[in-house]
Amino acid sequence: MDYARMKFYCDEARCIECDGCSIACAEAHELPVGISRRKVVTIHEGIPGKEFSTSIACMHCTDAPCEQVCPVDCFYIREDGIVLHDKDKCIGCGYCLYACPFGAPQFPRDGAFGAKGAMDKCTMCAGGPLETNSKHERELYGQNRIAEGSVPVCAAMCSTKALLVGDAESISNIYRARVSARGKGVNSPYGWDKAYKS
Amino acid sequence: MENSTARALATTVGRRSFLKMAAVASVFGATSGFASGNVTRAATDAEVKNPFPGSKKVKTICTSCSVGCGVIAEVQNGVWVRQEVAQDHPISLGGHCCKGADMIDMVKSEVRLKYPMVKENGQWKRLSWDDALNRIATKLAELKKNDGADSVQFLGSAKMSNEQAYYFRKFAAFFGTNNTDHQARI
Amino acid sequence: MTNSLGDIQKSKAIIIFGSNPAVNHPVGFQHFLKAKERNNAQIIVIDPRFTKTAAKADIYAQIRPGTDIPFMYGMLNIIFKNGWEDKEYTDARVFGMDKIREEAAKWTPEVVADVTGVPAEKLIQITNIYAKNRPGTLIWAMGLTQHTIGTSNTRMAPILQLALGNMGKAGGGTNILRGHDNVQGATDMGCLSDSLPGYYGLAEGSWKYFAKQWGVDYEYLVAQFKDASWMTKTGFSLARWWAGVQNVKTDEKIENAGTFLKALIVMGNGITSVAQQAKIKEGLDNLDLLVLADPFVNEAAILTDKKDNVFILPAATQFETSGYVVATNRSAQWRYKVVEPLYESKPDQEIMFELAKRLGFYEQYTKGMLMVETPEGKLAMKDKKAFTWPEDATDEIARIIKTIGLTGWTAERIKKHTDNWHMFDEVTGAGMGPMKGEFYGLPWPCWTKTHGGSPNLYDTSIPVSQGGMGFRNNFGLEKDGVNLLAEKGSFPKGSKIETGHAEVTKANIEAVLGITLTEAEKAAMGANWKVDNSNLIVQKCMEAGVCPYGNAKARAIVWNFPDHIPMHREPLHSPRTDLVAKYPAYADKANHFRVMTKYISVQSAKDYAKEFPINMVTGRLVTMNGAGIENRASKYIAALTPEMFCNIHPDLAHTHGIKNGAMMWVHSPEGTKIKVKAKYSLSVLPDMVFMPFHFAGYFQGTDRTGNFPAGTKPYASGESVNTVTNYGYDIITQIPETKGGLCRIEKA
Repeated sequence: MDYARMKFYCDEARCIECDGCSIACAEAHELPVGISRRKVVTIHEGIPGKEFSTSIACMHCTDAPCEQVCPVDCFYIREDGIVLHDKDKCIGCGYCLYACPFGAPQFPRDGAFGAKGAMDKCTMCAGGPLETNSKHERELYGQNRIAEGSVPVCAAMCSTKALLVGDAESISNIYRARVSARGKGVNSPYGWDKAYKS
Repeated sequence: MENSTARALATTVGRRSFLKMAAVASVFGATSGFASGNVTRAATDAEVKNPFPGSKKVKTICTSCSVGCGVIAEVQNGVWVRQEVAQDHPISLGGHCCKGADMIDMVKSEVRLKYPMVKENGQWKRLSWDDALNRIATKLAELKKNDGADSVQFLGSAKMSNEQAYYFRKFAAFFGTNNTDHQARI
Repeated sequence: MTNSLGDIQKSKAIIIFGSNPAVNHPVGFQHFLKAKERNNAQIIVIDPRFTKTAAKADIYAQIRPGTDIPFMYGMLNIIFKNGWEDKEYTDARVFGMDKIREEAAKWTPEVVADVTGVPAEKLIQITNIYAKNRPGTLIWAMGLTQHTIGTSNTRMAPILQLALGNMGKAGGGTNILRGHDNVQGATDMGCLSDSLPGYYGLAEGSWKYFAKQWGVDYEYLVAQFKDASWMTKTGFSLARWWAGVQNVKTDEKIENAGTFLKALIVMGNGITSVAQQAKIKEGLDNLDLLVLADPFVNEAAILTDKKDNVFILPAATQFETSGYVVATNRSAQWRYKVVEPLYESKPDQEIMFELAKRLGFYEQYTKGMLMVETPEGKLAMKDKKAFTWPEDATDEIARIIKTIGLTGWTAERIKKHTDNWHMFDEVTGAGMGPMKGEFYGLPWPCWTKTHGGSPNLYDTSIPVSQGGMGFRNNFGLEKDGVNLLAEKGSFPKGSKIETGHAEVTKANIEAVLGITLTEAEKAAMGANWKVDNSNLIVQKCMEAGVCPYGNAKARAIVWNFPDHIPMHREPLHSPRTDLVAKYPAYADKANHFRVMTKYISVQSAKDYAKEFPINMVTGRLVTMNGAGIENRASKYIAALTPEMFCNIHPDLAHTHGIKNGAMMWVHSPEGTKIKVKAKYSLSVLPDMVFMPFHFAGYFQGTDRTGNFPAGTKPYASGESVNTVTNYGYDIITQIPETKGGLCRIEKA
């Protein structure tokens, strides 16, 4: 059977750092303030010809390094490539954060000594291992939009359609079409090589 | 660690285009999900399709800027439970900036003003609408009588609906002054 | 906005003055980015600051604040020199381009470079790109308008577009990105001190028209005013009402019907983001009564030291009521109610109705909602006792406001558009399926109850019935012997009249349209199309393919303004003292929105640049709009921009010993100051600083957030930059000059 391989792609020619994606994510999943599943950054700000912005979250990598270093095996990878984890297993050790090239794993910081609780990260709106669309799942992992047949909220609400999510082939097609329309050189989007080794 | 891969939950996603791009409405199989594995059970169709049973979707418009992005509000039992994506809106195509993506917070923010208040002797006091309106109206009537209607300035809003903005201007006209304005000066 | 956001996808060049859509209209900006992909459209950004929009531009010019007119004359200089203007277009459709040509001749690229700071080569390059890629659209926002010469700026931009023949074209036009969600609509509705709804003005005839439409005697309205003369006089504006409050220290004479202002009623207006905060505070402190209705605490309540009679009323949000809003492209959308008002909040209209009841004019005030027009041109009462809000108000507006063609905007039609928003094309706005023949949101003018709206203003390539039109005839038929009407051959497609013509009235309709009216039609018809309850004039025009407002030339010369053609004048606080003598400000203006307003006397008072050498630019952040309270009341958004800051170039900061993240003082020429956090940025030049205008709660270094009633303090507070924006107001509209001012900084 031929499976879709889900990927994120942020088109730097379109991203304007409006933070629609990151706020859509925080609001949709009712994240605690300070937990940023998705962040938007601007590089070389204020330098003509060099400034660009991009939106970063868990990229749901091929051979996800987080999964490889986790000492308690809390990660699991769906056949469509979405990397999820089990918060009931996670011990908050932070190894995944060191392994992750994108700084995606988030840890609650409100303990008196900065003690870490279970890790939180982007689920590509696919929830977690609990009962689908249960209150429990929503509280721990946020909405399970994938199960509803809905688009992950960050990309769906992207103001300029810079942030795309979907199967690798569709994403590549859009990317190629845009690049050829702009008639400018092809650069791999930020993080694409690291995440998908392509 | 290979165990975790083995435990990966099977999905029924085939190689169909999940999203041609984010602008395309959802085409992901609505009944995909977690059909096997010992940590889950299969979700019922109703659960899978709508985690807020009995909710309705209301089309409305963002209150932030003048682009006029579509907003879809999901309402369950009179409560705005979730902001959905207005993918087929002809101007916004589902897009939002951070303000638009957070429209739901206009309603549910915890720091809203919840009841009328008046400052007396430098202290805030709660009062009823009736008291507040009576006191304001009495003062306005007194000013109009003694100093003329031009002793009052009205400042309306570019955040009102057209009907409200029109009725705001009309209010000043019936009160008897042109001292009325709002944010737009050019 | 003459065109629409989607229409920008048809542009081949996009030139942006004083607007930052990537930050202020992010979703709208997707259409700009798509234009790049569709047409290889060239994006040109002219701004003092390297904005997020500039980061996406093909070419960027860093301009000195307040010098847009020289820049545009510089473009015209090059255009005329090379013969790039659309002469056929300007001859047929523009009045006074010869005067523009004369003025443009003075603005050689070298002169422009000296005044604007933009190198001559860059001006030439930009002009070349813009003139050779047509249609080009010209975008502006508050960066162009918030100047003492703001009105001239907004005239200059269309003149540039007219010279290139870019007006009235798909992919062209002047596209002004409005700020708040309904700023277009609220302005159309005359929420203004200088007009009645629909831009009918304040003349006696207008008042009589409205009295009739509202179902009250004109004398009844007169009786509410001090006397009839005060009905026709412009009121105080949002910018300067405080000057009318007693005990406010000012030497500027007010003319307000013999009284000071004693009460201020504010509904949904963030007055903590208006210039001259120190004076606003003084005004608030000296009022007898202050009423603030808002879903969140209006921070004017926090700013003032007033101890009594400050009422804060919980207004419902727009999601807890319903009605329609007008987007930046003049199109209407129905904003359905999502939930019932939470807590004790009440929608704005209920607050107004309750006050009207107590003031004794509720019945007269709301009567218009129960009235209808008859085909005989009469007004009748609807067959019902009580009105339905908002639909009956929507229809009242559609019945009365004919000047801008709102006749077709009935509640039923607007709802149908919103219900079917998926049936419209993203680029053209054209409807499909059940919406065929209509454009999304029926952009005004929407002449009749079956008209589909007008997507692009002044477009003669399509019939009037499909949204076509020439320029408006509003200023007579000729000026100094020159024809003000469009020339022969310039007319909307399919028009029965193939030349310019006057606006259509009962007196001229038979002659203009070449028709004969029946006696019944004559009896029913109003004096002109703007006051015609029978709507017969508009109907006859539609049948003839003729625009009711006439077919005239656009005016490059406005003989009733102080500057007949746009002229450069330095900001009141100019960093180029050497240029002030050559380009001085206007004479001081008495009774400008009821208060004497200073120009030359402020500008010539001293050499501000010596003591205040730094340009100060203000603007928006993507995280907030307006005074920011709504967004700072969101915990997620507040976390993105948790505190007030000042963007400063590291070189400038270094000379003042200000470290990145350290506190700094910003001082204004008025003697006010704010304490803000320095944030190093290369987006500003070393002679300028940038600050956002969305914060409030702090004043001149003191934290006033203790004044919030318990549980209402937003998640972020800070100094309002408008405590230090400089004095200065536009000569026509009185918008404050917040986009060109000076300051002095020091380490805190």
